[in-house]
Amino acid sequence: MHLRPWLSLSLSALVLLAWPAASYASVGVGIQAGPVALAGDAHPGGRYALPPVYVVNTGTEPESVGIRIERISTGTGRTVPPGWVSAASAPVRLAHAQSASIPLELTVPQTAARGRYFSDVVATGSSAIAGGGASFGVAAATDLEFTVAPGAVSHGWFGVPGWLPPFVLAVLVVTAAAVAFRRSGIRIRVEHEPVRMARGRGDDAS
Amino acid sequence: MRRSARWWWLLLPVLLTGVTACGTMAAPQQAAGQSGSVSVSLTTVRTIRSVTISPGYARFVDCKGGDGLAYTASKGNKLGFPNGTCLVNSAIVITNTGIAADIDISGSDAEPADGLTGWTLCNTGPSPAASCTGHRHRPGPDQYKVINYDVFGSQRGGITDTPRCDRVFGPEGSCWARHLAVATEGLWLIGPEWSSDTSTQWTVTITWTPMPGPEN
Repeated sequence: MHLRPWLSLSLSALVLLAWPAASYASVGVGIQAGPVALAGDAHPGGRYALPPVYVVNTGTEPESVGIRIERISTGTGRTVPPGWVSAASAPVRLAHAQSASIPLELTVPQTAARGRYFSDVVATGSSAIAGGGASFGVAAATDLEFTVAPGAVSHGWFGVPGWLPPFVLAVLVVTAAAVAFRRSGIRIRVEHEPVRMARGRGDDAS
Repeated sequence: MRRSARWWWLLLPVLLTGVTACGTMAAPQQAAGQSGSVSVSLTTVRTIRSVTISPGYARFVDCKGGDGLAYTASKGNKLGFPNGTCLVNSAIVITNTGIAADIDISGSDAEPADGLTGWTLCNTGPSPAASCTGHRHRPGPDQYKVINYDVFGSQRGGITDTPRCDRVFGPEGSCWARHLAVATEGLWLIGPEWSSDTSTQWTVTITWTPMPGPEN
């Protein structure tokens, strides 16, 4: 490709300016290279904790690192609707070379189509520089993949229903109270006295 | 004996709960004889995909074009209308600080200081993401165009609002970058035919993104 003549002339000036640029403050962000993947299948109506995603500030200045879900990479599968994945703790403020693991939660709607899903987890860094001009952003992406399978939401092989812990606690308290009462020597006697009915004269006559 | 048996039923739920959980508590029996073990530490390479841009901010300068008769010609670092052009004042150094990756580039809408009507990015070429609607495929009203180019070479490319392969970055027009690969780029902005927002301060954001490439 050929650049316009005036643009070519400008290049020499930019080349001279290029070297001091290396000593300027920089913005940078990094993300884990390994994909964010759900270990098992997801099911419609389910909520799942995805593995936390590792992000790092590779720039020289403090910056705010956010997370968004976007299909950028070429991969196979349905695109993950961004609303399905939430990062409650993002954005995070990171100093130079500081890193963080950001938890992600996947919520699959009841109406979700089954199949393989694929998108990118994109970490974005911003140095919050305001004012007219050109602001340079940084982002880094890693794959996000999971499969939605038909069927009920799985709770694992040893799932504990929410009602069980308080129920067990209540049983223990009642048992302890019964034993304590038994050992205290206190006795409660319930006596039943038959009701005496008054009889009239008419009865006597019969 | 008889008294004790009466309240044993109270302990039955407790015992059942304990029996349910005992399967998870069982420890494997140790084999007879002596065994030995050794711990060996292992260090791995970092598997982070990252990029660093320096500087983080620049200004547009060397503006040209516009209509002198209408007193809307470019002047110094002020963009004129219609379709004035500007360059950034410094070269942008992009370093792939992570593992080898494809480097994508994208741009945002130009945002006016008053936060009202921005300019959208447009492109030219055989299959533009958003066509420039102005005369001779220049940006139309409330449109603008940014071209990035290699300050040491002749490669250049267009920028869209979605991340696309930055062909200026890699060798021979590719965007594949090895660890610590560096590109030095300039930006050339072509402004709109006219702007419906009267702000004189505008900000554009250009973003570089390392992506999982064909090899990772």
